[in-house]
Amino acid sequence: MNSLERIAAAAAFGTPDRVPVVAQVFGHAGVLAGVAVGDYVRDGALLARCQLAALAHYGYDAVFALMDVNVEAEALGARLRWPAERYPSIETYPLRPDRLDFARLATPDPAHAGRMPELLQAARLLRDAVGDEVLVVGCVLGPMTLASQLLGFEAAIYLAIDEPEQFGRLLDFATEVATRFGIAQIQAGAHLPLVFDPSASPELLPPQFYREFLLPRLARLFGTFKAAGAALNWLHTAGAAESILPFYPLVGVDIANIDYAVDPERALRALPHTCLDGNLKPLAFVCDTPADIACAAARLLDLFAARGGFILSSGCEIPPEARPENITAMVMAARRVD
Amino acid sequence: MADNRPEETMRQLVMALLDGDQAEAVGAALALRAAGIDNGRIIADGIEAAMGHLNAKCTLQQFNLLEIMLCGRAVTAVMKALFPAEAPLAPTQGTVVLAALEGDVHDLGKNIVRMILTVEGYRVVDCGKDCLLDHVIETVGREDAIMVGISGLISTVVPQVRRVRGMLDTAGLSAVQVMTGGAALKQVSAASLNVDFVAQTAFDGLHYLRAAAPGVGR
Repeated sequence: MNSLERIAAAAAFGTPDRVPVVAQVFGHAGVLAGVAVGDYVRDGALLARCQLAALAHYGYDAVFALMDVNVEAEALGARLRWPAERYPSIETYPLRPDRLDFARLATPDPAHAGRMPELLQAARLLRDAVGDEVLVVGCVLGPMTLASQLLGFEAAIYLAIDEPEQFGRLLDFATEVATRFGIAQIQAGAHLPLVFDPSASPELLPPQFYREFLLPRLARLFGTFKAAGAALNWLHTAGAAESILPFYPLVGVDIANIDYAVDPERALRALPHTCLDGNLKPLAFVCDTPADIACAAARLLDLFAARGGFILSSGCEIPPEARPENITAMVMAARRVD
Repeated sequence: MADNRPEETMRQLVMALLDGDQAEAVGAALALRAAGIDNGRIIADGIEAAMGHLNAKCTLQQFNLLEIMLCGRAVTAVMKALFPAEAPLAPTQGTVVLAALEGDVHDLGKNIVRMILTVEGYRVVDCGKDCLLDHVIETVGREDAIMVGISGLISTVVPQVRRVRGMLDTAGLSAVQVMTGGAALKQVSAASLNVDFVAQTAFDGLHYLRAAAPGVGR
């Protein structure tokens, strides 16, 4: 059974030869190869090389054509600051709440806008290299997170409360951006675009808000991805997301990422028929020891042993400065190697 | 017929703040003023009461940032209405220095803490985001702070946070409490970060601050 088959079996509650393991290694792949994170996220070919080197080093089951959370905003005109050793961040948001003119807003062309073509190149190169042996994961921001990246989180939230119709149009626009970018990733070679939506976390927004504003857009997004050939629909909401987990099956989620703040037993009960991935504490890969990681991983593996439908992973991104031996410990745990 | 009793108007103020309704909250606050209620009582019985309700929700784990942001925006509007000349509200508690350290440009959580502590009567000196550690320590000494609060959303600030206690000690500021919070830092224990407390939420931080410095202020 290869990695892709293993993940597909886990997602379908079949019988994989072992529990799949997905390390959410993004910038860390650059660090491992001696490449500055600032360079890693700008060059699709370099990113692909680093991802493949990390795959060879660790032997996990998926690679990521994923740069950072600012790719879409940059393609829409955000000005970024670029520290060499860290991810870029937004200096100037591309939109202003008092000047929203949706008639003049166009979704960016992934073939030309900002770093989108570089990310597509990364997806293409990764798929060329691994074929259907290893899962190639792209990434789009979920509608709420992209709306936050276009206006700033506070401005987006105040717009939602003060002018809900305008906010709805903003979310629709964000959904169109994600749809177009995600389909381009699938066409470039990604088996699926992960939908990353940390700003939709219940730590930030109440579940009613999620249900009213976000659920219909996520359903549309995932439906389109499936129709475009996505192997699976994978949703990643950061933080303590327990209260919104029951919504996931309604929008077609096949794999639900659970962050470290989610009690896995409660997630298991909330989503009895949905594959879960998680939820080792990301900072543990920096601060803890391989023995700690192995112990925490073993607890998760034991918890899900009877049920299946589980992918061992970190709850969120493994920090770039993670200790490599800790990632190895997680992979070895999934392989049940001491 | 509308109930114009001050206690009813105060109740309306609290509800408007909890609903995040700026206009209603400002209207109620000004009505209280017109009825002869002084600013101190409006803050104590209106704003602080609303924050108390949010605080209670927070401890019950039924809390999200949206509610406190909306309440915070309404509180800010009421404060501007009560103090139109931007005369500073005299703090009755000690001074707290807040910062997001070099490399971290996320300040939403820090700003929420600033708002809560200000309403609770603390004097807050905000060093901003992407702030050099030396500047934070210097500010703590200059402002005679009782606590420094470090907010961290990204993991790369952890090594800087671990240096805070030692730098305070070297500067002769050993009595100053160190508190951290934020998505990255709350994954780590206080002992591992070499700090006094890791707050899981903004109100969690307030509770600790009250307990750690009970003798300060009123």
